[in-house]
Amino acid sequence: MVLQQAWKAGTAGILMAASFAATGWAQVPGVTADTIKIGTFGALTGPGYLYGKLPMNGIEVVFDEINAAGGIHGRKLQLVREDDRCDPASAIGAVKKLIHQEQVFAMIGGGCSNATFAARETIDEAKVPLIVMASVHDGITTPTPPTIFSTATTSGIESAAQLQYAIDQGAKRIAIVSMRDSWGRARYNPLVEAFKTKNIKPVADEELSPDANDATAQVLRLKMTNADAVIMLLYPKPAAVFMRDAQKLGFKPLAIGQTGIADPAAFEEQVGSPGATAKFRTISMVRYTPQDPAVDKWRKAIETKFPGDRLSVFNLFGIGSAQVMVEVLRRAGPELTREKLVAALNGLKDFQTDVYPGPITCSETDHRCHKTPAWLAKDPGGPVRVLGATKVE
Amino acid sequence: MLLLSYLLLSGVTTGALYALVALGIVVVNKATGVINFAHGELFMFSGFVAWSLHVGAGLAYPIALPLAVAAGFALGVATDRIAFRPLMKADVISLVLATVGIAFVLRGVARVIWGGKADYLAFPPITSPEPVMLGEIMVIPQQLAVLGGAIVVMLIFAAFFRLTRAGKMMQATADNAKAATLVGIRTERIYTLSFGTGAAIAAAAAVLMAPLTLLYPDMGFAFFIKGFAAAVLGGLTSLPGAVLGGLTIGVIEALAGGYIHSSFIEVSAFVVIMIVLIVRPTGLLGVSRVRRV
Repeated sequence: MVLQQAWKAGTAGILMAASFAATGWAQVPGVTADTIKIGTFGALTGPGYLYGKLPMNGIEVVFDEINAAGGIHGRKLQLVREDDRCDPASAIGAVKKLIHQEQVFAMIGGGCSNATFAARETIDEAKVPLIVMASVHDGITTPTPPTIFSTATTSGIESAAQLQYAIDQGAKRIAIVSMRDSWGRARYNPLVEAFKTKNIKPVADEELSPDANDATAQVLRLKMTNADAVIMLLYPKPAAVFMRDAQKLGFKPLAIGQTGIADPAAFEEQVGSPGATAKFRTISMVRYTPQDPAVDKWRKAIETKFPGDRLSVFNLFGIGSAQVMVEVLRRAGPELTREKLVAALNGLKDFQTDVYPGPITCSETDHRCHKTPAWLAKDPGGPVRVLGATKVE
Repeated sequence: MLLLSYLLLSGVTTGALYALVALGIVVVNKATGVINFAHGELFMFSGFVAWSLHVGAGLAYPIALPLAVAAGFALGVATDRIAFRPLMKADVISLVLATVGIAFVLRGVARVIWGGKADYLAFPPITSPEPVMLGEIMVIPQQLAVLGGAIVVMLIFAAFFRLTRAGKMMQATADNAKAATLVGIRTERIYTLSFGTGAAIAAAAAVLMAPLTLLYPDMGFAFFIKGFAAAVLGGLTSLPGAVLGGLTIGVIEALAGGYIHSSFIEVSAFVVIMIVLIVRPTGLLGVSRVRRV
């Protein structure tokens, strides 16, 4: 009789525990006993696909590696993609779909800055953790959002790094040529602040339209000031026009780009004028070029999973942000909740990935977790080289 | 003086491209009374066709150019058949909306076909990229080739309108469609020819412009706006006016950027247009239609 009662009590206890566990998982969207659903959004089509589809491919190969090794605390990672076409309205729609329809647990995403910035309010309201993979707009992480963290360098950090690099290279007469659309403003305003902080005045401050087909006027005005370094806040297209016209007019300053022109090899081809990019330097969020033997493992993974693709720096963006997500999912423990994931992100300090130039450190008051941009250069006809990195305080 | 020479050369080169875009807009508007809002996308699409022929298929530039112009003509004819012909008796708003729809379709198709290859597609230079000296001025042969090409295209189309039977019928239809019908001109065919010719001119502009810039699916609208501004400045129904308008805008942009500040480049031309239209509402070479009673 006593044994029978003990058996009944034991059985009831196990059932209750199982029921609690089941209820617990059911209450956390996107988490089951054996899967964690992670959403991602960015451009899958259009010119912005470099910042969307390619980082997503990088995330996918990291998830494959983790899943092949048994997942995280026994759960396999599942990636759900949504196309935002680099369009703010579409980004809001994509994020809403991931959160409410797909019921993802967390997200790694954000390719085009303006689109991700537009989606911030929706993400803040839903309090779904997001690790930004490629968008650089300061407004995405400033003021500090509750659940958004960035493993991409932000525009303010890049602008400060551009000025610091010019100074480090011994430039005395530094000029600016910039686009003044929202993308350009997001970089221009912090750059002007950085100039003020260092008590330096730019020798010239010129504008160039994103659709410009000629930069003769800008080049001539900069040349008249004898600028020895030009900080370029431009997309690749106007930057290519600028570099081409600069060479035509015999103006050869140190030209300092940013992650908008992330591939010096492609840029050299776009400029199409031999030698015009010899003094061009640009920022990379990652410390390796796609040809570097250090990323052989990831090259093989990308080229195996996506036949016809070649490893690009944009894949590496996704690989880095996915490695951060994997780490914080581990730290959040088996009883996974969004609050625990956010706490793990807030506590992430000096975490080294396979791709970023410096450690990733987040805090409760600063969700800009990547502050060490690397510098790339390409000698005419030679390979792309990593010159070093600038730590922005 | 050297500064002025550089600015004038760059202004005239850019302006010649604006003029070609404006010519296409005016050709269609003169014949049909409709502004083809898909004109920028016809320009963009033709540029990509030229890229596919020249870079993708490896055809020589002199072969790729006429083929892309022919493709532009075909696209213009398709625009007429899809967006204009079925709605010919509808109000102007419906016609304009139809051309806007065509613009979005062309942009979407371009994104699907060429959007996934790179962020921007580079068109190889058709001449040596090394600069040459013209007196004291350093110029890229590419720039001269574009300017020369634009002038040749303008002359060819001027000859087409003045010397060929089709060109004369287009002018007759533009002047008075009812009278043209009465004398036996099949105006519907002329409308088709106008859309095709307008798009062919846009295609020629795109092929000439491509080596100077980079190709991307959203590039059409910016060129359309500049071409439209040039057409309005010239008088909207005047072919020489379109050329004059394009060159004027190109030169004003260059001079304002060089002598005032680069931030004036985008607005200066529009300020001048506003002033011209206040003083002369028909544009520089436009004529107001007067009916004698």
